[in-house]
Amino acid sequence: MEQILANGVYLGSQYAMIALGLTLIFALMNVLNFAHGQMYVIGGFVTYTIYGQWGVPFVLALVMSCVTLAILGALIEKFLFAPVIKGSAREESTMLLAAGIAFFLDAVILLVFGEKQRGVPKIVDGVFNWDFRIIMPYDRILICMLAILSIVAFIGLMQYTKTGRALRALAQDRTAAQLMGVNVDRYSMIGFALGAMLAGLVGGLLVTITGVNLGMGGPTSIKAFMMVMIGGAGVISGAIWGGIILGFMEAIGLALLYQYGDITYLLIFVSLMIFLAIRPQGLMGKPWG
Amino acid sequence: MSPLIQVKNVTKKYGGLTANNDISFDVSENEILSVIGPNGAGKSTLFKMISSFTPTTSGEVIYRGERISNLKPHIVARKGVVRTFQETTIFKSMTVRESVVVAQHLRAKASLAGYFWGSKTAQEDVSAFGKYADELLEFLGMSEISNEQASNLPQGSLRALGIAIGLATDPKVLLLDEPFAGMNHDETMNMVNLVRSVRDERGVTVMLVEHDMPAVMNISDRIVVLNFGEKIAEGTPSEIQNNEKVIEAYLGSVDDEIGM
Amino acid sequence: MLGFSSKQLIGVGVFLFVIFIGVPLVIGATGRWDFFFTLTSVALLAIASAGVWLTFYIGRINIGQGAFALIGAYVSAILVVKAGWSFWISLPAAGLFAAVVAVLIGLPILRLRGVYFAMITLVLTQVVTLTALALPITNGAKGISNIPLPSGLSIFGIPLIPDFGSMENTKLAFYLTACVLMVVTYAALYRLVNSRLGHLCRSMQQNEELASSIGVNIAYIRIVIFAISSFFGGIGGAMFGSIAQSVYPSTFVVADSVNFMLNCFLGGLGYVFGPMLGTLVLYFGWDLLFEIGKYQMLVYSMILIAVIRFLPNGLLSVRFGKGDKK
Repeated sequence: MEQILANGVYLGSQYAMIALGLTLIFALMNVLNFAHGQMYVIGGFVTYTIYGQWGVPFVLALVMSCVTLAILGALIEKFLFAPVIKGSAREESTMLLAAGIAFFLDAVILLVFGEKQRGVPKIVDGVFNWDFRIIMPYDRILICMLAILSIVAFIGLMQYTKTGRALRALAQDRTAAQLMGVNVDRYSMIGFALGAMLAGLVGGLLVTITGVNLGMGGPTSIKAFMMVMIGGAGVISGAIWGGIILGFMEAIGLALLYQYGDITYLLIFVSLMIFLAIRPQGLMGKPWG
Repeated sequence: MSPLIQVKNVTKKYGGLTANNDISFDVSENEILSVIGPNGAGKSTLFKMISSFTPTTSGEVIYRGERISNLKPHIVARKGVVRTFQETTIFKSMTVRESVVVAQHLRAKASLAGYFWGSKTAQEDVSAFGKYADELLEFLGMSEISNEQASNLPQGSLRALGIAIGLATDPKVLLLDEPFAGMNHDETMNMVNLVRSVRDERGVTVMLVEHDMPAVMNISDRIVVLNFGEKIAEGTPSEIQNNEKVIEAYLGSVDDEIGM
Repeated sequence: MLGFSSKQLIGVGVFLFVIFIGVPLVIGATGRWDFFFTLTSVALLAIASAGVWLTFYIGRINIGQGAFALIGAYVSAILVVKAGWSFWISLPAAGLFAAVVAVLIGLPILRLRGVYFAMITLVLTQVVTLTALALPITNGAKGISNIPLPSGLSIFGIPLIPDFGSMENTKLAFYLTACVLMVVTYAALYRLVNSRLGHLCRSMQQNEELASSIGVNIAYIRIVIFAISSFFGGIGGAMFGSIAQSVYPSTFVVADSVNFMLNCFLGGLGYVFGPMLGTLVLYFGWDLLFEIGKYQMLVYSMILIAVIRFLPNGLLSVRFGKGDKK
């Protein structure tokens, strides 16, 4: 039982970070970022290259992952999403664009990093063992702590800085934010960069445990969608709850249903459908239409 | 004669907020009844409950002896109680005539499959719908704009289109949501005449929610006044005009859209 | 006839002539037999895309067609291999099974709109793939291979369809079968869109509240449309499995669901025949880029991004806004 709990916290903290980035981008621009998983994979590969291949300290590599993704996100927003949102008659066009970008990033990852599974040396050795009730390698504990720390930092940023306030105003009401003097174009870009950066950060953190490979992008995006739907799209607390809930469901499913094969996700999906039938706006989302 | 619609002790609560509290009144056949009140008095909520667009918290609405509250909107529409919307709720990329044709859905005799295969009944339906649409648009004075796309119409015509869509369903009771809002004097008078002819020539009972006092006084047989979710008065226009509670409610409100 | 103008009839005639006589003649003359496979795939994917287009018609972005194609492929394969059914009976059965699944799933999820519906359908594709991996009847990752070619079909001793196994040129036979299915699908879609059901769908696409106020049972129509859409997906998938003679959990994945959506968008949502054009352009484009090897995906996605960037309203946007006719 304690073991399941510990696994749940560990998975949930990672997932919450992925969902946070996705929900931020959604809240700001009403864009469903299909390429989120690919951004996560790129973050993983950057850390792999810098820390695993070049031997630069892990923290520095992590910073580089963040910087790379932030720049990538900013460029994608400025040169692709912003003009398409302006020029398109239907808001669905952005979904198309996001899908195109997901394909594109997949292609780039394939060409630059190849399709092999890559791993890096452990950042800390040893296993924490509490009487065989909780067994968890120290590196997982460290990564989990770092993830929780990042989430706290992110919430702090959104709550207490000027940028955070501007982003929240923008997410709530674009026109009103503009009237209040928020530079909408600029903060859209910053927000997108921030969302992409979060994806890159988780990628960098998790590469030390699960490694990274080309095929992880799509499934990661899909998990992020599920979390966002559980919590309610565009709501920060919702993304965190969604991440924690999915993390726990997965931890419990894998522990209890192990002998039945891979039906955990089928069950999670069925429960998600029932849940959405009762509460279509998710846990924290505002009721709509 | 028993009333056509009975609103019985209807209450609606949103969380801690009470939008409508214990409202009761009757609507007789062939009358024009207006529901008025300052902004936020709960008029629109009441309309939504009568047309089952939102469930009641308690109480019920009876139409010809049958409960019509807490059902689905399309079922209430099939029984003959049809609401219209304010002007933004239209079929944007359909023409006026297309909108009116599609709104005759309830009159169809052939099944959906019959339409797919092009059965004889379906073909008869199609030509009947077209004929009726032209007739209705003529009646409403909209023949000239029948091939205009709805999204290109000016505000006044959109209101008329909303009423045309409502009438096309062949209703017994038509609920009009602020039919005069944002209109100048002449437009309002045209609309008043139109609503009256809908009742006189088509035998449709009309309920409307409105702000515009002079128009309401002009058109209504009876008026129900709401304030802060409560019914404070009911009666003929002249009774309402001299009702102290009503005058107080309007004078006491910051909202002075009234022109009494 | 059924309200078609003579110009439309000529257009349809030319189209039928091209796909049933023109293409086989050209391929026979040039010897590019591989094009048969490409065009067969286009026809089948266009059937599935037609379903996605139909869900767009009630205002829902459907990124779950891969799920129904996969379900169709498995149902047909299991019926043929394990129950010994004729393929021609398993084909409609696969479509119907997909439609039933769509009804069950649609009941809760069709209440969702916009990106919410898009997200959940995308998740659905992944879940069906995972289910296929987990269930015993689908054979897990090994999938179902060695599916026999479709046998002959005869009614009252009159042979309607010859036995594919005894044919020398199955490529042509599959091509013609796929084209017949595609033509029937699009004819049905055209009729549907231009009949009352289509008009009701259009009213729902534009305003669900107003539609329900005129007495349209929107919940019912949503389910009917989603079921028909998934039926098309199931049929397309089943035929695909039969041609490949195998089905794996990876036969239709999330990327396929996304591609079905792209086909519709790119062809233009305003036109019944848009998804057919979109499928042809995208699939052919992808196929032609095969020559450049490992840069295929890169170039393809760059072209895609460029098209969306500079023509955000679809390939047919030059003619956009003329209604839903051809």
